[in-house]
Amino acid sequence: MTGGLLAAWWDGPADGPANMAADELLAEEADRRGDPVMRFYSWTTPTVSIGAFQRLEEAAACPAIAGLPIVRRPSGGGAILHGTDLTYAAAVPKSHPCGGAPQALYDAVHLAAIAVLGELGFAAHLHVPGGDDPPADALLCFSRRAPGDVVVRVPRPPAGLAADPKVLGSAQRRLGGTVLQHGSLLLSRAPAAGMAARHPGLSDLSVGPATWTPRWLADRWGARLAESFGGTLQWQAEAFATPRLVALTSRATRFLDPRWTARR
Amino acid sequence: MAGEMKFAKSHEWVRPEPGGLATVGISKYAVEALTDLVFMQLPPVGTRVKAGESLGEIESVKAVSDVYAPVSGEVVEVNEALPGHLDTLGRDPYGAGWMVRIKPDDPSELAGLLDQSAYDALVKS
Repeated sequence: MTGGLLAAWWDGPADGPANMAADELLAEEADRRGDPVMRFYSWTTPTVSIGAFQRLEEAAACPAIAGLPIVRRPSGGGAILHGTDLTYAAAVPKSHPCGGAPQALYDAVHLAAIAVLGELGFAAHLHVPGGDDPPADALLCFSRRAPGDVVVRVPRPPAGLAADPKVLGSAQRRLGGTVLQHGSLLLSRAPAAGMAARHPGLSDLSVGPATWTPRWLADRWGARLAESFGGTLQWQAEAFATPRLVALTSRATRFLDPRWTARR
Repeated sequence: MAGEMKFAKSHEWVRPEPGGLATVGISKYAVEALTDLVFMQLPPVGTRVKAGESLGEIESVKAVSDVYAPVSGEVVEVNEALPGHLDTLGRDPYGAGWMVRIKPDDPSELAGLLDQSAYDALVKS
């Protein structure tokens, strides 16, 4: 990294197309800088993001998320209901040690999160596939378990709660010169969703009162990730979108286009 | 008789065929790096592609990746069976796992690609 810095942006809420456009521009920023970059963000309204090749009609017909806005991500993976999560995007040049095999960046970001969750007393760990895993093709990301997802051990789970609920899942898009990875850390159950999509978040799994805020989590998470890259986190003063409004507006039209959303 | 197979740095292979066409696929290294493949989208016949630009997408359990055109030209044939039998890519990436055939605008473009030994060195580095 240039000067050992991981540039990061703390962004406010935006709608689905603007967030996806910003993530793609973030990947271009990593390419331009030749260094990893990261942003944290939220959503103006509960929104479902679906994977690049998921079937739109399947998501639209799911009762648990019916009626919510849907945006199609450039990355793969399952559908995510955003709104009670902390969403991140990280991008690294392919020349970076985490830009080669896909699992390297997953592990770097997820292990950084696990370290932060450990500071809060959560017994978080990377998921190891087992015989009782839910179907890999479940519509919702948080109803799936992939190797390397972050799950939290709950010693005596109440009825209806998995022993190791998933709290962080990510997906990648590998571009020409960079790897874009984004994902969601669930902070709490989604009140906008039907029961099937109300996956527990950190506040639901905590044994005591929450001592964290989303910004604190981002601070610690980004710092841990920068440390794993051999550098330090450097927050940028303005939102990622601010100097890029024209490019972002133009790029967002792709994610607004029904031909993109309904491509499959 | 088919010509020498060439490779792009982005891990596509291209093989000149009799009649001036070029067959395109992705390398064994790329297939193995992507791990379990779940979906593939290839362009329709007649699509014009430009070297270095996306001609299709492939999704694995780990990531979505673009497949880049190694040469510019027109897609004249597509392996329609491949998206439904992605295991073919793992078994025979340089044969039955071919993706498209392109009629190159400029066959000399192939000269700028990597030969087998240069590609092998790239993936070992």
